[in-house]
Amino acid sequence: MNHLLSSIYHFLTSRQLLPSIKGGAWGWVFILIACTSPSVPTSFVEGDSLPTIYPDYIDVTVPQNIAPLHFHIDHDSLATDFVTRFTVGGEQWVVGGEDVRPGLKKWRKMIDAALAADGTISIEVFLKQANAWQRCKPFTITINKDSIDPYISYRLISPSYVTYEDLTINQRCLENFDESLIYGNMINSDEENGQCINCHHAQWYNPERIQFHVRQYLGGTVIAYDGKLSKINLKTDSTISAGVYPTWHPRQPWIVYSTNNTGQSFHTRDRQKIEVQDTKSNLIFYDLEANTVTPITRDTTNLDCFPFWSPDGKYVYYVSAHWERRDTIQLDFELIKNYKEVQYNLYRIPFDEASRSFGPRELIYDAVARNRSVTLPRVSPDGHWLMFTEAQFGVFHIWHNDADLFLMDLTQAQPVEPTPVISYSPDLLPAGFLPETANNVEREAAADSLRAAQGRLTPQPAHIRNITELNSPDVESWHCWSSNGAWVVFSSRRDDGNFTRPFIAHHDGNGHFSKPFELPQDNPQYHRQFMRSYNIPEFLSGPVTFRPQDFAAIIKKDATPAQLKTHPSPSL
Amino acid sequence: MKNKQTAKSTTLAALLESSWGWWLVILCVLGVAGYKLVSEESETLLRAQELNLWLPTGLFWKTMMQYPGGAASWLATYLTQYFYYPWLGVSILCGLWLIICCLLVWAYRLQGPWRALTLLVPLALMACFVQTGYWIYYQKLQGHLLVPTVGVLFAALCLAVQRLLSDALPTKTARWARLLWMALVCIFGYPFFGAWALGATGLLALLPGSGGESVLAILLIAAVPQICYQRFFEMTERSFLYVAAMPSFRNGQDVFTEYRLPYYAIILTFLILAVVSWISNVFAAEKSKLRPWLPPVIVLVLLFAGIFGVSKAWYHDVNFQKELSMNRAVQELDWERVLTIARDGSSTVKPTRQIVMYKNLALFRLGRAANEMFFYPEGAMQQNAPWRARMTQIGGKLIYYHYGKENFCYRWCMEDGVEFGWKVETLKFMARTSILNHEWTVARKYLDLLKKTTFHRAWAERYEKYLATPDAFDLHKLEASVKAGKPLLDEEGMKEFEPILHLMSYPDRLDGDNTLVEMYLLQTFARGNGDDPLFQEMTLLCSLIMKDIDLFWPRFMKFATLHPDLHMPLHYQEAAYLYGHLENKVDISHMPFDQNVRDTYDRFMKFNEQCGPMSEEQKAIAFYPQFGNTFYYFYFLVRNQKTN
Repeated sequence: MNHLLSSIYHFLTSRQLLPSIKGGAWGWVFILIACTSPSVPTSFVEGDSLPTIYPDYIDVTVPQNIAPLHFHIDHDSLATDFVTRFTVGGEQWVVGGEDVRPGLKKWRKMIDAALAADGTISIEVFLKQANAWQRCKPFTITINKDSIDPYISYRLISPSYVTYEDLTINQRCLENFDESLIYGNMINSDEENGQCINCHHAQWYNPERIQFHVRQYLGGTVIAYDGKLSKINLKTDSTISAGVYPTWHPRQPWIVYSTNNTGQSFHTRDRQKIEVQDTKSNLIFYDLEANTVTPITRDTTNLDCFPFWSPDGKYVYYVSAHWERRDTIQLDFELIKNYKEVQYNLYRIPFDEASRSFGPRELIYDAVARNRSVTLPRVSPDGHWLMFTEAQFGVFHIWHNDADLFLMDLTQAQPVEPTPVISYSPDLLPAGFLPETANNVEREAAADSLRAAQGRLTPQPAHIRNITELNSPDVESWHCWSSNGAWVVFSSRRDDGNFTRPFIAHHDGNGHFSKPFELPQDNPQYHRQFMRSYNIPEFLSGPVTFRPQDFAAIIKKDATPAQLKTHPSPSL
Repeated sequence: MKNKQTAKSTTLAALLESSWGWWLVILCVLGVAGYKLVSEESETLLRAQELNLWLPTGLFWKTMMQYPGGAASWLATYLTQYFYYPWLGVSILCGLWLIICCLLVWAYRLQGPWRALTLLVPLALMACFVQTGYWIYYQKLQGHLLVPTVGVLFAALCLAVQRLLSDALPTKTARWARLLWMALVCIFGYPFFGAWALGATGLLALLPGSGGESVLAILLIAAVPQICYQRFFEMTERSFLYVAAMPSFRNGQDVFTEYRLPYYAIILTFLILAVVSWISNVFAAEKSKLRPWLPPVIVLVLLFAGIFGVSKAWYHDVNFQKELSMNRAVQELDWERVLTIARDGSSTVKPTRQIVMYKNLALFRLGRAANEMFFYPEGAMQQNAPWRARMTQIGGKLIYYHYGKENFCYRWCMEDGVEFGWKVETLKFMARTSILNHEWTVARKYLDLLKKTTFHRAWAERYEKYLATPDAFDLHKLEASVKAGKPLLDEEGMKEFEPILHLMSYPDRLDGDNTLVEMYLLQTFARGNGDDPLFQEMTLLCSLIMKDIDLFWPRFMKFATLHPDLHMPLHYQEAAYLYGHLENKVDISHMPFDQNVRDTYDRFMKFNEQCGPMSEEQKAIAFYPQFGNTFYYFYFLVRNQKTN
């Protein structure tokens, strides 16, 4: 019964129907007897450490239009009471309880006051232990005048392996806690007919122009374009698959996709658990108005993936790995056997809008020469910066603990000649160099340090840097610039190594970022309970107005087959 | 004498006509039902609550309410927890059934014997309950065991309120109130109770004394789900709208309609109650009376039919029960109990591979596998389910966990969680595998979730303390601490984790099991190579089970080297002696085989000659009494043990 009441209580508090007060059903009792506002203790001792809060919002910079940064005070069992004071200039707001949830109205007032003052909110956390109050070291939240796009979209998916059940593409208003469904697969699925949905993407942040894929049952690519919905079958006889990873042209109704044959296998011991690999992948160009597909790259020894159209529309950046058959075994087995040797470089191909043709590819970053592999190039809206994910090998870095975000200054980037490929293998480490228990990441890092010591690694170009201020010891991947270039949202597994959460950071325009903060939630412990990952967070300038039922209706219809169109531009 | 008989029949007649006598019948039937459930289905109930999860969080509620009928599931998962103590859960269940009976008696204004007719509803609910079998692993509706009870309780409450309105208000007002109530039940009940609210709406229209509500009921039933689909439930397939919060007896492409019968029976019982109530009212209005013996007879006939239906629906399977009992014994690390259950010869039914695997695991953990592995019944019976049950979805996760294949255990927990919903069991495995994989933060996440449950908090707290001793999960450090006399793990931790850590002595590689747990374990261990004594013995055992001579010899030799003082276990000797004779590749002349190993081999071969032209099946039967517990028998006569 206690739990039943507690659940109702949590439900009500999670919707701010009731104030948050510590303790399941006891909260009801507190509500009755403690209707007074919390107050800051008059006497306390100064603590010498910052409070431990979740999410970690200590000294972060946030946009002026962000939702309230609710947080939970992590504490040991000795702490019995909690008071948090927010101070801006001469104004103060006091919140009680271990869940610090000032709420939207108070938060807006704080932000307005902060913007009128020095732009910071000072926060003091008071803990009561053994009838004595202690004040933790204060911290600040800095409010930046740069606004953030009001929405992000993402797919919610369990960090699963093969099975899927309910998958949703959601949109979340960053200015409050409203989350809604763009499309959920269960509206068109049943026990017999499962449906996977993925790769949502909008044209230049425009919620009126989005696309996503439906796989298996009722499969096709759903495209919403200025109020019109269509469902297209992008698979042609001359392409590897239907479209997979998309990139819209910034203005025109054109989309470049990669086409992929993808498989996954499972690590028996490593905590990375899954390796996702492409056995084939190329690029195609899709013209929405003409409903035609044109292959862009066709070289079967190249694995081309993750295209991204530059904001000026003149280039398509993408990553590519070169793989020539060595064995007589099946290709996917060969790639599984040599999975650590599949590494991707960063390329771009020029695009001529008038003739709708692509030029020869240019190598922009020879990551393989550094024994690295890059994925997910994303150019900032001003075209100055290119952010990508880099790890030791492979293409699906969301499952690579060593995946980090890197930044390239495109104004300094020039096409480079590829360095002859040297085969690396961490298995060549001298005996005893590492303990047997070392995991893949440790082994690779040790192998790299050895190679670097031997002068066998190309140094990192000066115009590329590891964005250390954004990275953690765990995965960072799937990033997106805001439309004004002042913010980035990216996925990270830093919380627990398994579940991906969106983090947001401020970009100062000069290639430097503030400390990232986790997507705020009304219930600050929401992500600790939530058993799904956020997949591909992307900014949107507003909400998608089509309803899930509208998408469901179009998905029920047959897909219109795209027509194959060959192009005179050179096959890459 | 005659007087006595007359007195007796008068008493019986009085009893049959009296209300309290029939209440006694209701109580007795429910009591017997409860007793049968506790005595025969305790293992199922315990497993049911392990395969269930209820969390007191807003997120859990929100997740449930994504679909119509979420509240019914939410309540049912809440109640399912109480099967942690089967007697408690069953008492609550029987209590709910009694409440249903009371509400229906009142709502339908049943008198005398007719009151006992309400028992048909709990009997139908019991049939829904006891027919489950392997659906316990495959049912996607959360709280599926108790959703029917919750749904019917909701319907009975709605009927009772309707009756209250009819009784308490003037006729004209009551009619409008009833219409309003019906609309409220359907409009507000549907999001929370799904199809059960639609059913309740229909029952309100059929409740005697109602009039003209049928049209409204039909309109409501037709329209409300469609409106909800358009406005609220963006994750619900249209065809699912009218069966929301009902279990689906579908597995892949196959639909098993026979499992729907108890649900049809629920509808039928309500129709019977409505008819009986209507007839009673008619007779009462006409001031006429049925023949006094007729109502009790009708009631008793229907009750017996109901009881017969329950007994027909009841899923009985020896292997299913054995799997459940063995699973619990493995969870409790009670290896001897696992073997006791494996030895149970009360049935001639051959065991499933799951049972054989539990048995082999227990023997290995007790260090007796190499001496006793073939002393137990072998078999490869398919699970008694109308679809092909997969070991990964039944006990495979437990097997992987104890065999040190932590990533695969975790993987199948995740796959199951995604497909069938999160369960206490999967969270427990995910917490433990994460601890063994040194993933402390995510282990804490799962433990924190378990700490929110009603009955598994203590379990979570027990494992939480291991997070403070990360070194304990480094085998070298653990062994050093044991040598130093200050073990990093407590006794329970040592018993559970130490053998697993030994079996984790293999390097990482990319792999896949194609859902075949046993085959994957056999192949990977048999081809494995390591110096850890426990791991090494597992490689030898698996090469033995695979009957792979080339893999056997190097592992046999290494085993002998690693255990110079150990008397070579029986089955290893038998295999070496047999392979030595079969292939002559390895000189076994200097090996000190036990005399009984040589003798048994000679007798086996001689008996084989005697049996002459017998088929392999005939030989398997003929040899079993003498040689069924030898490797020779296993090698020659146990074949095609298809695993799942």
